[in-house]
Amino acid sequence: MNKPRLAIAGLTACSGCQLTLLNCEEELPEIFARFHLDYFPMAESFHDPQATFDAAIVEGALSTPADLATLFRLRNASRLLIAFGTCALFGGVAAMNNKSSARLTLLNGVYGEASAGVESFPPSPFRNFVSVDFAITGCPPEKSDLLALLGALLAGTLPPTPCYPVCTECRSRENLCLLLEKNELCLGPVIQGGCNARCPASGIVCEGCRGPVREANVAQQLALLLERGFDAKEIERRMSRFTPEWDYGQRR
Amino acid sequence: MNRTTFDPHTPFAATLLDRRSLSEDTALFSVLAEPAAVEPLARFLPGQFLQLSVPGAGEIPISPADLPSADGTLQLCVRRVGHVTEHLHRAEIGCKLGVRGPFGVGFPVEEMTGRPVLLLAGGLGIAPLRSLICYLLRQPERFGEITLMYGAKQPQLMLFREELSVLAAQGRLRLYLTVDFAPQQPTGDFSCAVGLLPELLQGFVFDAQRSYVAVCGPPPLYRCLMDELLGAGVAAERILLSLERRMRCGIGRCCHCALGQKLCCIDGPVFRLSELQRIPEAL
Amino acid sequence: MEHAYFKQTQLGPLLETLRLFGELHGPVLSEAGVASFAALDDLGALRLDYGKTRIPPKKYLFPFREELLQYRDGIYRQSPLDPPNIVLFGVHPCDLAAIAYLDRVFLAERPEPAYALRRERLTLVGVSCEPDDFCFCSQPQEGGACDLFLAPRKDGFQLAFAGAKGAALAEAARGLLSEARPEGEMSAPFRAIPAQDPQLRFSDHPLWQKFALTCVSCGACSVCCPTCYCFDLREYPSLDGGGTRLREWDNCLFATHGEVAGANFRASRLDRLRYRFLHKYCGFSPLEGMSSCVGCGRCKEVCPVDIDLRELCGGPDAAAAVPPAPLRPAS
Repeated sequence: MNKPRLAIAGLTACSGCQLTLLNCEEELPEIFARFHLDYFPMAESFHDPQATFDAAIVEGALSTPADLATLFRLRNASRLLIAFGTCALFGGVAAMNNKSSARLTLLNGVYGEASAGVESFPPSPFRNFVSVDFAITGCPPEKSDLLALLGALLAGTLPPTPCYPVCTECRSRENLCLLLEKNELCLGPVIQGGCNARCPASGIVCEGCRGPVREANVAQQLALLLERGFDAKEIERRMSRFTPEWDYGQRR
Repeated sequence: MNRTTFDPHTPFAATLLDRRSLSEDTALFSVLAEPAAVEPLARFLPGQFLQLSVPGAGEIPISPADLPSADGTLQLCVRRVGHVTEHLHRAEIGCKLGVRGPFGVGFPVEEMTGRPVLLLAGGLGIAPLRSLICYLLRQPERFGEITLMYGAKQPQLMLFREELSVLAAQGRLRLYLTVDFAPQQPTGDFSCAVGLLPELLQGFVFDAQRSYVAVCGPPPLYRCLMDELLGAGVAAERILLSLERRMRCGIGRCCHCALGQKLCCIDGPVFRLSELQRIPEAL
Repeated sequence: MEHAYFKQTQLGPLLETLRLFGELHGPVLSEAGVASFAALDDLGALRLDYGKTRIPPKKYLFPFREELLQYRDGIYRQSPLDPPNIVLFGVHPCDLAAIAYLDRVFLAERPEPAYALRRERLTLVGVSCEPDDFCFCSQPQEGGACDLFLAPRKDGFQLAFAGAKGAALAEAARGLLSEARPEGEMSAPFRAIPAQDPQLRFSDHPLWQKFALTCVSCGACSVCCPTCYCFDLREYPSLDGGGTRLREWDNCLFATHGEVAGANFRASRLDRLRYRFLHKYCGFSPLEGMSSCVGCGRCKEVCPVDIDLRELCGGPDAAAAVPPAPLRPAS
């Protein structure tokens, strides 16, 4: 079997997605044996600028010219570009904003006088700039999703992507429904499942870290939460924590 | 204890023998099934379908383009449209595949005995109908006149053109070809009409009272053709349509392929128009 | 059908006797307070007065997610399966009727080996119930397809048993039982909603539009439905060159349910609700004409937007004229 050449990289993000790979402790020897990790700045500083890849697995949102340059280079150098994690897909926590502070104010607040030399723009997902061949959502992504991708790459294909909300798995685990039975602000109905409802299973509402499920009935979710007495501002704040842009009119 | 009884979900092993490109995105695959599959495959009737597994990618329903040979070789005409078909198109000759089936209801060939048969194929719909043509041509004395009307989008997307022309030249079937678009009127070694299948059918004189009509093509085609056929006097019971749905299990359980209360995988994929007229979701 | 009686005080010893036939499972309350079927390691955890469990007993026969096949070097094989013998105690008649329905689906022509094996190793002990605010079957006092059935009587239970398994259980518990005259038959419960006219799916009832707007496609109704069994098959290659094919519960209200490459046969939510109505209340081939609603009321209870498809067929009153259906498949 030929060994696919991988690039693993991060843009504006916390590197948590890349850590998901390093957390696959049991599988790491197998992964290193079966792939060439030709570009992995987090683990190794040397790399060949001319290298091309079978797949580039990239985390983070785009917020600097350097991010853009890296993304364009990896897009051009790689047959497949994989958006890895919620930031890459939707902007994620990096793109959270209060819609009132100007970018410059924020920069000054964080970098003080040094902000003059910082070039940045509001964090955006990959799809605003390049085409993406496959995406793994999650903040952080599930190990099993990453391993499924790597397995599929070895087989020369891409893994299936089940498409159901968090509620489906949550119900299958016979959890208490935090939305209906405890009247908590749970986003389960509109958020992409695949996490096996990890948070609701331990009594914590779904915060929406995996982003919108394809057919989210956003308008109804909004109506449902308002009806249950939640404040519109609070709902929007919670919904935009991991995904800044929702179409609140979407019923699909 | 392990599950040892026959499992309808477990594919027979098969090997990819050959791939012949038919158009830019469509190829004919020869697939040899393991000996244990020969007996079930021998029961194949044209119009039935198989579930083809491509290890690593998954499974798709396919209606073979020919009858299985005595040694279990299958001819599968596959367009590159999705995850599994893409993987199949890139598979190496000699690689392992899986086959389950045959499943479903095929064309009522017993009932068609002695009758003229009109086949209407649109695009890739030629594939399932080709297995019916093969069946009919093996016993030409058993059936009446065989006519094929075949429409494709463009001349280069017309599949099996040469072999069909040879059959027509030998007088074994009457052949009418048409394309939706052509830069200019096709001539020379390949000439055909330009226009849609229903237009071709309009001027066609045939024994509507006795003929069986087999139709396979993209969904819009069915809607256009049905009025023409009924108007010409073909009884709805003798109009046979091969439908496409999302068959996953093939055995009437997963319920993805429902049309009305019928399941395409066990009640079809070949239906009579008379059955479908009661199912608004069907066409 | 044979009957016996045992005293309330003998319930503990009876349960201990049942353990001889497999792992004893029954209704318990989870830490969060959700009723569910689970292992009864401690008999004190048994909640025989439960309303309904969140997930019906189908999870014992047809788990939410299971590995169906493995492949290696391109050859597919069944995944090994060796389920334990389980005695499921305290199943209500609606859930028993649902199992009888699933038996018809999975054990008819081309039986599913995985389902058949799990079913063979599952002993069902039914118990009669009191209706709650959500359920709506018309005859809660009788049992369905089960091996033992208990109905509370004065200071104890009347016990009915059927079939070889039931007889073996009764024989093992003989010392705890006394003779009893049968009161009522151990037969299938009446269907909660009779088979409906398929044309009703195109009715101009305004609720169709309302449901199509409000359904959030969360999947809860079908996850919790005792007779929903749509499933999806997915293939996952592994790092070692082999792979697995998984089976997972699917839901007809998801957009992907009717999708093929390049088209969707049930593109709108209204199409999908019609499909659900048709499957639930009218039946699909080969069970066409058979309603699979057993009246447990879970769908209504778990729906975040209060969708109740029964309202489209005349509501709970429609249950009035239900004919008893023969439930147990010929074996």
